[in-house]
Order: sequence, then C-alpha cells, then structure tokens
Amino acid sequence: MKTRLNFKNLNFQRGQPIFIFIMVVIICFFTGENFLSLHQEDLIIPSSGLSQQLRLSHYLPTLANTPGNTRVFLFEGKEKGGNVLILGGTHPNEPAGFIAATILIENLIIKKGRLFIIPQANLSGFTHNDAFEANPQRFSLPAQDGLRWFRYGSRLTNPIHQWPDPTTYINPSSQKLAGPESRNLNRAYPGSKEGSLTERVAWAIMQLLKTENIHLAIDLHEASPEYPVINAIVFHERAAELAAMTMMDLQMEGFDLRLEASPPNLHGLSHREWGDLTSTLAILLETANASHGRLKGKPSPQLIVKGQDANYVRAARLGRLFVPFDEEGIPLKRRVARHLASIKSLITNLAALYPSQTIKFEYFPSPQLLLKNGFKDFLQIASSSK
Amino acid sequence: MPDYLPLLLMVLIFFGLAMGFRLQIGLALALASLGGALISGHGLALRHLVEGGFGYLDTILIIATAMIFMTSLQKSGMLDAFTSFLLRAFYRHRFLLLFSMMLLTMFPGMITGSSTTAVLTTGALASPVLMKMGMSRVKTAAFIAMAGILGMIAPPVNILVMIMGAGVDMPYVGLTFPLLALVIPLAVIFTLWIGAKEVKSLTSSELEEIIASLPAGQSNFRIYLPLVLVAALLLAQNSALPFLSQLGLPLIFLLGGLLNWLLHWKKMNFFLVTQQALAEALPILAILVGVGMFIQIMTLTGGRGWIVLVFLSLPPALLYLGMGISMPLFGAVSAFGSASILGVPFILALINTNAILTSSALSAIAGLGDLMPPTALAGMFAAQVVGEKNYFRVLRHCLVPALFELVFALGFLLGGPFLAKIF
Repeated sequence: MKTRLNFKNLNFQRGQPIFIFIMVVIICFFTGENFLSLHQEDLIIPSSGLSQQLRLSHYLPTLANTPGNTRVFLFEGKEKGGNVLILGGTHPNEPAGFIAATILIENLIIKKGRLFIIPQANLSGFTHNDAFEANPQRFSLPAQDGLRWFRYGSRLTNPIHQWPDPTTYINPSSQKLAGPESRNLNRAYPGSKEGSLTERVAWAIMQLLKTENIHLAIDLHEASPEYPVINAIVFHERAAELAAMTMMDLQMEGFDLRLEASPPNLHGLSHREWGDLTSTLAILLETANASHGRLKGKPSPQLIVKGQDANYVRAARLGRLFVPFDEEGIPLKRRVARHLASIKSLITNLAALYPSQTIKFEYFPSPQLLLKNGFKDFLQIASSSK
Repeated sequence: MPDYLPLLLMVLIFFGLAMGFRLQIGLALALASLGGALISGHGLALRHLVEGGFGYLDTILIIATAMIFMTSLQKSGMLDAFTSFLLRAFYRHRFLLLFSMMLLTMFPGMITGSSTTAVLTTGALASPVLMKMGMSRVKTAAFIAMAGILGMIAPPVNILVMIMGAGVDMPYVGLTFPLLALVIPLAVIFTLWIGAKEVKSLTSSELEEIIASLPAGQSNFRIYLPLVLVAALLLAQNSALPFLSQLGLPLIFLLGGLLNWLLHWKKMNFFLVTQQALAEALPILAILVGVGMFIQIMTLTGGRGWIVLVFLSLPPALLYLGMGISMPLFGAVSAFGSASILGVPFILALINTNAILTSSALSAIAGLGDLMPPTALAGMFAAQVVGEKNYFRVLRHCLVPALFELVFALGFLLGGPFLAKIF
C-alpha cells in the first residue's frame, strides 16, 4: 500500500496536534516577553567627565545595527598622556568586570590622557542565559534612590545572533576548540573583519587598540573558585614588570593576588593576541565568583551579590578550591573593589614606568570605601523598573 | 529544604510516571521537572523549562536531519547496494570484515565527535552487512553502538576533551597519541569480543543467495553521490575554509538528503521521507527536550551542585571509583554535560597529573554516558538502526565492553605518571 503524506504518519492521537499547538502558543506568549526583555540595554549614567560616547561600529562600520554594537565611553583629559582601555563584560556571567567598568564610567573624571571603557564587550551575551545553568536573568545593587538592576548574561554570544556553531571551531589564531567556543569573545582574537559576529567584535576591539594607540589594555573577568587561575593578574610577557609592581601594591592594600604569565601556546585570548599583535601592554584580571562555578548551590541574585554558598564552604574545607572560601563568601563588592584597586595601581604604575603615558584622574571610586559602604556611594540613580 | 530533596522527588516522579503509568519517557521527564519546580517553590518556572528544553536544540536538529538523510538513502536503494558491495568485497575474510566495519562506523564519530552521527550514518551502512554475515540483530546494534562511542573519543575530534580543556585552559594539542593509545586496543577487543563468534566467512554460493535476497536496485556511482557529498562536507568541518567549515551538521545532512531526492525525485517524495524519519525519531527527540528541562530544574534547585560535591568529597582512594561511577551515570542526561560538569572538577582534583592524559581517559569514561538510560543515545539509535524495539536488549550486550572500557580508562588514569614519560 502506498503511504501518503499525512499527520497519521507521525503517530499522533486524535486532537493531539491541536492541543500541542495551543500549548506552544500559550508558552510562547508567557515566556516570549520575558526573553525579549533581556534585549533592553542596561542603564549607565556617565559622569560629567565623559568626553564622547561611541559605539564599537566606529572601528568596524559593519557592526552598526548589529547586536555586537556595544557602547564605548571615552574620557579625555585636557593634557595629552597615556591611552588606556578597560574592558568589562567580555563574559556577561562574570559581573564584577561589568560593574567595575560601570562604576568607573559613572564617577571618574580624567585630567590627563585618555581612558576608553567598554563595559559590555560582548553585548549579545547579555541578551540570554546559559541553558542548564539556571542563573537569574538580573540582579540588583543598592543605588542612592532605590535599586539599580543589571542583566546577568551568558559567557557566549546569543545563538539567536550567531548560529549554528561549527562542529569544531578553528579560531582566527588557528587554535582548535569545541564548537560553542566560536561564540566566546575571549577565544576569538584577533578576530576577523568578515567573520562571525563574535569575530567581528574581536576585530573591532583590535582596531580600537591599534588606531587609538592604546598603551595599556585591561580585560576584566571572573572565574569559579575551583579554577586555578584566580585572584590573579594574567599578563603578556611585555607587561611582566607592570604586573609585578601591581601585585605588590595590591598585597599592601590587603588583596591577595598572584601573577600568571599568559601561556604562549594558548591563542585567541585577549592577553595573548593583544600583546602579540599590538604595542599595548595586555593584562587580564580574575576574581572568584561562586555563581559561576560547577559546585554552586541554588542559583540566585543573592548568590551573585553576596557570594555566599555552603557548597563552596564545604569544598574549601576539602581542599578543592584555589581561594579561601568561608561562610562570609566573596561578595560582589569585594570582587569589584579588587578590580578597581588593580586598575588604579596598573594606571599609576604605567606612569611610573613610562612617564609620557601618564593618566591623571579625579574621583576614582575608592576600593576601600566600596568595601566599607557598598555600592550606594557610587550608583546615584536607580533603575525605573526591573 | 535540603538541596538533594527536590532532585530525589523529581527522580521518584519520573520513575512513577514512566514505569507506573507507562508515560513516554520524554513526557515523564518534563512532568518530573515541572514537579521539581513546584515542590521547590519556583512555581511553574516556565522560563527555566523553556530554556532547558531548548538546551539540546542543536543535538535534536542533528538527529532529525541525520534520520532524514538515512531514510532517503534507504528509499533510493543505496543501503542495499552498499551492502552488496561490501559483502562481495569481504565475504571470505570475516576478521577483515569486522575490523573494516568497526573503522567504518567509527569514522563519522572521529570527525564530528558525536556517537549519534556515527551510529546513524555509517553504523546504518555497516549493520546490514554484519547481519547478513551472521551476526544477531542485538549484537550488531551493540557492535555499532560501541564503535560509535570509540569514534566519539578517537582523534582528531574529541569534543569531550575540548569541553574539559576549555574549563582548564588546556589547548587541544598533543592529544592524538594518547587518544589513539586508548581507542586502538579497545577497538580490537570490542571487535573480537562482540563479533568473532558470531560472524562467519561465506562461500560463493552463500554470498549469491544473500545478495539475491536483497531488493534489486541501481548499483551505479550516482546513488553514492549523496554519501560522497556528506563525507566531503563532514571532512571540510575540520578545515579552516571560511564557508564550508561553518555549515553545521544539520545542514550537511539536509543537503545530502536533498541531493538524494534530486537524483531520485521520480520515485521519492521528500516530504514523506522527512515525515517518516521524524515519526521514528520523535520519541528520542522528546527525551532530549525532557532531559534538558530536568537538568535545568536540577540546577535551579541545587541538585547539580550537590551531586558534584558528593563525588568530589570522596577520599582520594575512592576518587577514581567516583569518576568511574559518576561520569557515566551523569551521561544519562548528557555525555557532554558530564564532561563539563564533572570532568572539569575531576581534572582540577588531579591537578598534579598530566592534564592531556587525564582528560583523554576521562573522555573515554564520559563517552560511556551515551549508553546510560534513559537517553542512552548510542544504544537507542543503534537499536533503531537494526529495527530492535527494546534498546535495553542492546545495552545488555554493551555491558561487558563498556565495563572493560571503564577499567581500561581508569588504568590509563592510574598509570598516568608512567604514560606521561612515553607520550
């Protein structure tokens, strides 16, 4: 008997297709709005010291009107001096970098030199969450007149914006990686002008480093407490002296910090490609984020902000972690303070090593004040809604 | 509520629905996930159910399109023609035939890192040959399932190692020899263990009798073109060619299926082929959606962290045992998930050993997750390829080879310090 094209071939019971269709419509209706709300940009209110707000498409015009066209904040002093780039949000599930960059943008005034800040380097990654991680979509911090909400995204570019993943990803530095890593900005350097969205973002950042003659570039990250490269400055070999001076400063300020040389055979990462292919001194900073780890308990906004997790306390007692972890946890304010202290020290030491690359600033957010009073002093305005 | 309690209740709900009420496994998993969300105070958690349900979208598309491709090859008569060709080539030499079939089935796994792709493509080509040479249906399925798993861990592409490497900043270099040292002995042992007693050499008259029983079809080169196209595009995946390396497996299989339809459009209704393929694959695809929801809710309620910590809490002497048990068990939800969630902490727990050897051995252990029910992708698809309804019968025959692989990989881990001097 000849088989015909028919719903019966799919072994559905009577009425099942209609039922499934109605269920899909209902689920799309209730969840669609929720997922789409993640495409709204986070509120960032620059200080009066802002000279110019650009978009990354300034360095690669084909990024205009794409989800990779992130904001670039330029603070320029009246005097010429050093040029520094600070990158937050390369991995949107590592919020300390994003928040440290935001606090700088909202408070800092530059008197000499130029400071470029990209708070959300992989903007697309802020529009979704990693499946199976069950992370919250947002978290809030206290501002002076209420709560400021921020998105907590994914390590990778949204597959809605870049899909499908190749089976294996051979990145622009010819390193072979698992397919999903094609959406990891910190594996895509030096990028490609005609490549995927992630590679174009990486290429535009490289262009910024070259055209703006950036002397020092700092990529802000976080890692899980079970990861060995943590509470660390990862440095390109040309930035070794700068990193060593900064480590000593940080230790004097009470932040435990270790030095990690950028592995020469690990390509596609910022600290390797920025340093190899441009004249910048490339630095990557890592703090410890419990909400990022595989051992985490229930994911929640509190876990992101307070950084307390009983699983990690137990893991620390078992000697499975690379940072001390007790009931106090490692709160976001401490992680952000560590980043801010490192940035301040790096900029200061850059001037000590190369006086022509001096940056003079005012109202640099005090790490000690942040540790003492929290975020309230540095975030003036609350979000109007979640 | 302790973190393990929602997980325990989810497992109970799942077994109750799947065994007690005979509900489809995918649906039972989805309802158990919903139950877990409600019990733990997260309400309906629709966002999480959708997010988890979509977690395996890529895998689902690969399976669906591979099934479409293989169904179209079946309709065009290519599978029968290829069986005749292989039988004529190997009918006198059973060991040569067995090793060739092992290698043939492993090949797509080696270049895609996926056991499913291996089982559904060349596994489907090898199985009729093995059965015609005397191997029973379930043993044939076990043979191609184990070949698929070996293909998944063999070089040049081992996605499990890549996933673990990404978690510990280990570049994917220097893995060829360690992985070959793991895979080659296992391939030889599995071939002989499963096949040696079953497959017999044929006489010329037996061969002609078997070939006469196959449906008569074309045997010109044209019918092999879709297979050639798919093989070429799969190989191009590992190249640096800007366009061809980024096609993705679903598009490759779909292009193969479409080419097959263009070559045989008079006798093949492509839409019917897709519908038949999906009808067969739908229960398995539903399981993947259900498993995705289950993992998401398990993480949401703290169950995942609890499991990882339980195994990391084992004393050093039992840590290897913990790896041997937890990684294949976690593979019941996903072998790739097992590599990421458990593999990375285990590598870090053995930080003083050679990471290349450790990750190679752990990938062999994690790969066994594709034999772990309820997903058991390799076993389930192997059963489907040979027309066996009960995939547990296939898994029974995989048990000894799988245990051997486990012991061998653990030996590889323990012998790491010595092996590090060789590689």
